Amino acid sequence: MNRKGRSLADFRLAILAFFIFLVLFIYSSLNLKNVDLGYRQHELLLAEKTLRLEIDSLQARRAELLNLERMEKIVVEKLGYQYPEAGQIIKVIEDDNE
Amino acid sequence: MTMNSNRQGKKRFFVLSIFFFIWIFMIAFKLFNMQVLDYTTYMAKVKAQINRVEELHSKRGTISDRNGEILAISLLSKSAFISNKDNELSLAVYKKICDLLTLNRSQKMNIVKRIRRGEKFIWVKRKLTDEEYVQVKALASSNDTAGTIDFIDEYRRVYPQKKIASHILGGVGIDEQALGGIETSLDAEIKGRGGKLKVLIDARKKIFQFKYMEQPVTGRDIHLSIDAALQFFVERELAAAVDKYRAAGGAVIVLNSRDGQVLAMASNPDYCPENIWCTPLPVLKNKAISFLYDPGSTFKIVLAAAALENRVCSPGEMFNCHNGVYTVRDRQITDVHPYDRLSFEDIFIQSSNIGAACIGQRLGEEKYFQAIQKFGFGHRNGIMLPAEENGILNPLAKWSGVSLAFLSHGYEISVTPLQMAVAFNVLASGGFFIRPNIIMDDTPGHSQVRVLSAANQRRLTEILTAAVSRGTGKKAGIAGLEIAGKTGTAHKVKRGQYTRSYVASFGGFFPAHDPQVTVFVMIDEPQDLHFGGDVAAPVFKAIAEKIMLYLKLFPDIPGENEIRI
Repeated sequence: MNRKGRSLADFRLAILAFFIFLVLFIYSSLNLKNVDLGYRQHELLLAEKTLRLEIDSLQARRAELLNLERMEKIVVEKLGYQYPEAGQIIKVIEDDNE
Repeated sequence: MTMNSNRQGKKRFFVLSIFFFIWIFMIAFKLFNMQVLDYTTYMAKVKAQINRVEELHSKRGTISDRNGEILAISLLSKSAFISNKDNELSLAVYKKICDLLTLNRSQKMNIVKRIRRGEKFIWVKRKLTDEEYVQVKALASSNDTAGTIDFIDEYRRVYPQKKIASHILGGVGIDEQALGGIETSLDAEIKGRGGKLKVLIDARKKIFQFKYMEQPVTGRDIHLSIDAALQFFVERELAAAVDKYRAAGGAVIVLNSRDGQVLAMASNPDYCPENIWCTPLPVLKNKAISFLYDPGSTFKIVLAAAALENRVCSPGEMFNCHNGVYTVRDRQITDVHPYDRLSFEDIFIQSSNIGAACIGQRLGEEKYFQAIQKFGFGHRNGIMLPAEENGILNPLAKWSGVSLAFLSHGYEISVTPLQMAVAFNVLASGGFFIRPNIIMDDTPGHSQVRVLSAANQRRLTEILTAAVSRGTGKKAGIAGLEIAGKTGTAHKVKRGQYTRSYVASFGGFFPAHDPQVTVFVMIDEPQDLHFGGDVAAPVFKAIAEKIMLYLKLFPDIPGENEIRI
């Protein structure tokens, strides 16, 4: 083999080595990315679960605050409202916003 | 010299190479051993370290009313347990927990016993409240407890409206098992299904990959047809009446006249669903669907409807009412107020038992039996609640010579308050038998069968309106609002015998000319007063007033935007 032929073979070898390196690099990068996405996906899953639990908790709290017995107590004792009595005449106010 | 050193160098290189190859061979052998020969063992070790299967709990669906107000919801809570490694340490820690949590004496004794026995896992308290968890967690994190206290996630069922609609909702036990009400009847749908998650964890126990082995199914959310506000008013009026008349209990049902949806269903005595597990059985009984009684005069609406449909009586026709005492075979039928003669309409307006018996006898057994069946008596209405009773309607073959006369004024038959409410709703809905439903998602009015012609429905409504304006149901009347209704008073049956205990009832609907709401009230064993017109009619009125204001079913307004209550 002459000198020119030997340098061409070296060049091909270098290209092959580079190509193998590139494939291995992409493969390992994708694997690492996959693992990283796995972490992220699980974090999001946990965040979603936490938010759902928080929503439930807030809904329950809201419902407890709107408990009708509690509301009636506030309306009667704090705001001084009363149920109409028999024979009482009450005025009906039409409220368009209702 | 040079040759010697060269030979020595080659020898060293050779020895080093031998060692190097042995080293390489050992590594290769080890790798071969790990990857091929002992592959299964090592793979199992790896899997045990990084693989884990997590159980995913299912969450019970939320139950809400027709306006979306939450009646039952499951919240994630913590359950505390002692991980007992050292009895003395566990006892010391447990003493500290006792200062933070409310535990009864027997619970405390039991836990101490179990610690002394050396049990490894001991529940301290399940489903802690948020405040309790914060306190116990602070203790668990302190150094002196040394990992003795730990927690497990569990769902806790919360009923924010407390006692409201308790008999409809039912309740659940400590393991979220259904114990009554809609929680039981729709348990399969509400409870959902747990799942399994396969996860891969790293050295820091963080999950970096997961896959659902079984997808969890969240329980179905249930929208009830009841209105929490109406339910609240109804329960309060019922409780007040039961208290006032020192009654054994009672029930009220409010139906939407058009589609048969249950707007409220109250049963007294009631309970808090969160404490269902420690509630006595008789209190758990939903009297609206499980209480059987002879309906008495409220049942005359079925007789009137049958008589009109079969054209056995003409309008205004007079009947002999035998001055208050009438004998059928060897049995006496009496009227509270004796009448000589009453018209067809007045028999129902004044609630004459003798007049009703005469109409019944003219109608005949077969036609009356058919009418009773058409109104839905003798079998369940199929409402989505457990323990609904069929009622008792004897087959025609078992009727005695006096059955017809007694059935005409509501004896020799057992019904539930719901069946009576549905019967009144036949008149309110324009003559249709509509199966009641309590779930919003159900197709409204999916089962409508005409059992009364429109003309007869109008006639009967007029009679019942007169029963309230000038008959036995006067105490149910509201000025300006047309109410159609009928009173009922019946002796209670105990151990097969009629007793001196009574069931007072009143059924009706309003506005009579365009019915929106049907209400049925039943008071069980009232003391002092016992007539339906005295006991149940005022409860009906109180409820009707609240409904009128709440649903804005205002009577004809006398002044400008003014109504008289």
